[in-house]
Amino acid sequence: MASNHLNGDSHILHHPKKPKLSSTSTSLITPSEIQSEFCHHDPSVARINNGSFGSCPTSVIKAQQVLQLEFLRQPDHFYFNCLKEGILKSRTVIKQLINARHVDEVSIVDNATTAAAIVLQRIAWAFAEGRFDKGDVAIMLHYAYGAVKKSVEAYVTRAGGCVIEVQMPFPVNSNDEIIHEFRKALERGKENGRKIRLAVIDHITSMPCVVIPVKELVKICREEGVDQVFVDAAHAIGCTDVDMQDIAADFYTSNLHKWFFCPPSIAFLYSRSSPKCLDLHHPVVSHEYGNGLAMESAWIGTRDYSAQLVVPKVLDFVNRFEGGIEGIKKMNHDNAVEMGQMLAKAWGTNLGCPPEMCASMIMVGLPASLAISSDSDTLKLRAHLRENFGVEVPLYYRAPKDGEVGVITGYARISYQVYNKFEDYTKFRDAINKLVCDGFSCNLLSI
Amino acid sequence: MDKEEDPRNGVGNGTTTKKPRLSGFITDSEVQSEFSHHEAGVARINNGSFGCCPGSVLAAQRSWQLCFLQQPDHFYFSVLRPNLLRSRALVQTLINADHIDEVSLVDNATTAAAIVLQQIGRRFSHHQNDAVVMFSCAFPAVKKSIQAYVTHAGGSVIEVDLPFPVKSNTEVITEFRKGLSKAKSGGRKVRLAIIDHITSMPSVLIPVRELVKICREEGVDQVFVDAAHAIGSVPVDVQQIGADFYVSNLYKWFFAPPSVAFLYCRRSNASSSEIHHPVVSHEYGNGLPIESSWIGTRDYTPQLVVPAITDFVNRFEGGSEGIMRRNHVQVLKMGKMLAEAWGTSLGSPPEMCASMVMVGLPSKLCISSDDDAMRLRSHLREKYGVEVPIYYRAPKNGEGECEPKDKDGLITGYARISHQVYNRIDDYFKFRDAINRIVLEEDLY
Repeated sequence: MASNHLNGDSHILHHPKKPKLSSTSTSLITPSEIQSEFCHHDPSVARINNGSFGSCPTSVIKAQQVLQLEFLRQPDHFYFNCLKEGILKSRTVIKQLINARHVDEVSIVDNATTAAAIVLQRIAWAFAEGRFDKGDVAIMLHYAYGAVKKSVEAYVTRAGGCVIEVQMPFPVNSNDEIIHEFRKALERGKENGRKIRLAVIDHITSMPCVVIPVKELVKICREEGVDQVFVDAAHAIGCTDVDMQDIAADFYTSNLHKWFFCPPSIAFLYSRSSPKCLDLHHPVVSHEYGNGLAMESAWIGTRDYSAQLVVPKVLDFVNRFEGGIEGIKKMNHDNAVEMGQMLAKAWGTNLGCPPEMCASMIMVGLPASLAISSDSDTLKLRAHLRENFGVEVPLYYRAPKDGEVGVITGYARISYQVYNKFEDYTKFRDAINKLVCDGFSCNLLSI
Repeated sequence: MDKEEDPRNGVGNGTTTKKPRLSGFITDSEVQSEFSHHEAGVARINNGSFGCCPGSVLAAQRSWQLCFLQQPDHFYFSVLRPNLLRSRALVQTLINADHIDEVSLVDNATTAAAIVLQQIGRRFSHHQNDAVVMFSCAFPAVKKSIQAYVTHAGGSVIEVDLPFPVKSNTEVITEFRKGLSKAKSGGRKVRLAIIDHITSMPSVLIPVRELVKICREEGVDQVFVDAAHAIGSVPVDVQQIGADFYVSNLYKWFFAPPSVAFLYCRRSNASSSEIHHPVVSHEYGNGLPIESSWIGTRDYTPQLVVPAITDFVNRFEGGSEGIMRRNHVQVLKMGKMLAEAWGTSLGSPPEMCASMVMVGLPSKLCISSDDDAMRLRSHLREKYGVEVPIYYRAPKNGEGECEPKDKDGLITGYARISHQVYNRIDDYFKFRDAINRIVLEEDLY
């Protein structure tokens, strides 16, 4: 393993191999080139939260700016001659990445939040038009993303549907625990002869962060007669394996700006070609209405589509790494686990899940003495870490269950992406150690 | 801008290298510099479609973009919201809205239409007898939105014809009254009237204030003014206009980058609590302005540059008003110049246009379909370096005397020319000459 000359100390992180001198193929990206690609990141910040807003390398930003300028130069020409084919090119790249059968199944939208609105809006229409009965069920995970929960409320509950949440254990020890809870929820959903119209399943939950066994859950849904399955995989692409044939859901969305180096913002929504998946529409209706979601999404009025056009350039970036995106995913995973274990050991805490249930993010328990006892505590401590220690990391409050004493109530969700360095995590380690040493407690934070 | 006539230029330059400035206003060459990214060699007389954005506003936008990329969490928690509020406050003043809660920022008028129509559509059912009224020349995307949210939900749609060419506001008002009567016939309730402030194709300035008043008199539930072109083109006073909803794109005539629009929702409107952004996120239920301020991770920078735009606009004599006035005067001047050169006529009187005007094209071009119009447009772009949208106006049967004509026959095509601060008289000469050549040489397109 090549030594990591970036670090002051001798700790060796898994990094892309140095290019071979005798290589005749295009040389691999070097560690210093990587740092250069992310030199716009605030150098005073230990940026260990790639999960929230992602990251975008300079070469992709530059490519995006070229596209933006092209539009500004002569927008009519851009609209008539460049835009449609550019979007098709991006969709084709994505189709290959995710192993979709046909490019028609791949639409590009702003983000997973938009994709959720698209899928759920269709459900709302079905209720309004009487195709679904009032009281028919939608199932989602208790740890579904907040925005998606609101979307389910807006489009399902308000339309007369009944929402059932799958309780999930955290910390979690195995896939079986999740599968068990899922089956229980399905049973509840089917009580009194109700029909389960939709299951919304996260591929990687946001908070707390865990990789869900989606393939198994989709299979169970099919066995149990669930109408349709929507996988909210906001984090998945560039983070874990994404194979539409393997996962076999009806709808699947993932953000490319989180782990796939795209600028804000772009996501794909995969919609399996099947009679049941017709009638999917973008809520912002424009000229292409009725021509299929992919066409509709490619024009929703004048706006900046450059983030959607830059996907081929992102592939170029990713392929400068050994093993391309597969290599990056593996490296990120190994490093995230290693850093998580380092922190848990340093603080005397534990991880939130076993290594095989995480991808490039991992939940690390925070020392109990910090006395995190509410969601607002986590926000305040997070701000405190940002403002006073230069550490950016999201925190999660895990409420004690009945009968639990002295448990860890706070977890940090650390991310690892190609620009991260060992110092980022030691900075975090030391910040927490200092807080503990100083007798810091969330009770002391101002309201 | 014609150099000899521009009072902003200094007089009697003398020996100094700098032109003596009578005031601190932006100079002609500074204006050209601000738009130096526009493709050279193109007579860009279609500001109406995609607008334009000056270099200094683009620079401000880049700055915001970098801020996000540098530390996105800090941006999200500390920078975004207060600056969105700042932009909204400026817009509120600009449009004379009563309260900042009435002002939301969205991507574009298309998005605003979806928001308003979704809300109306939710209240329709196939059992009721409800109608929506709109102009037949409403923007095609808005028509599709009506199809998706009104027709789909069981509502009827009544179209009002826009007379074109048009001679006076009275003609428009008369047609509108007819349309409303038709809509109300059979005991129908008119739930919504959608009125363009400035129609797109053909482009005409509509007497919205009067039409909104008529709607109130006739018991129309809600009035939505689609003013995509208005801001930066005509003065906008939402209280005077009196509509329930009013949307305008800031990137067309108000120098914003793509893309940002404001949607004004009158607070007194009973349904304002029912208005939602279709992309539901954390802020659902906190009111449209707040919902729109976070619809998932994306680039919000076009919404943040409104202060930079007002700085830009205030470098011009008379600010935004001065720009509007000069654009109006120039576009009419250029329109008349072209009509005279081609022996045709304008599509509307001066008071029924703002910064765009419809100019009749020679009948010898034989434009006889929408396809012809599109092909002519492409031909002008590719062979002559002129960017201008072309409108096909089908002859009306039995109108005879009233049909627009030139010496060779019926006028069936109109060009919608725009004038914005970066335009020069040469742009219009180039267009004039291109058409003359096409006619003379019978250049097929």
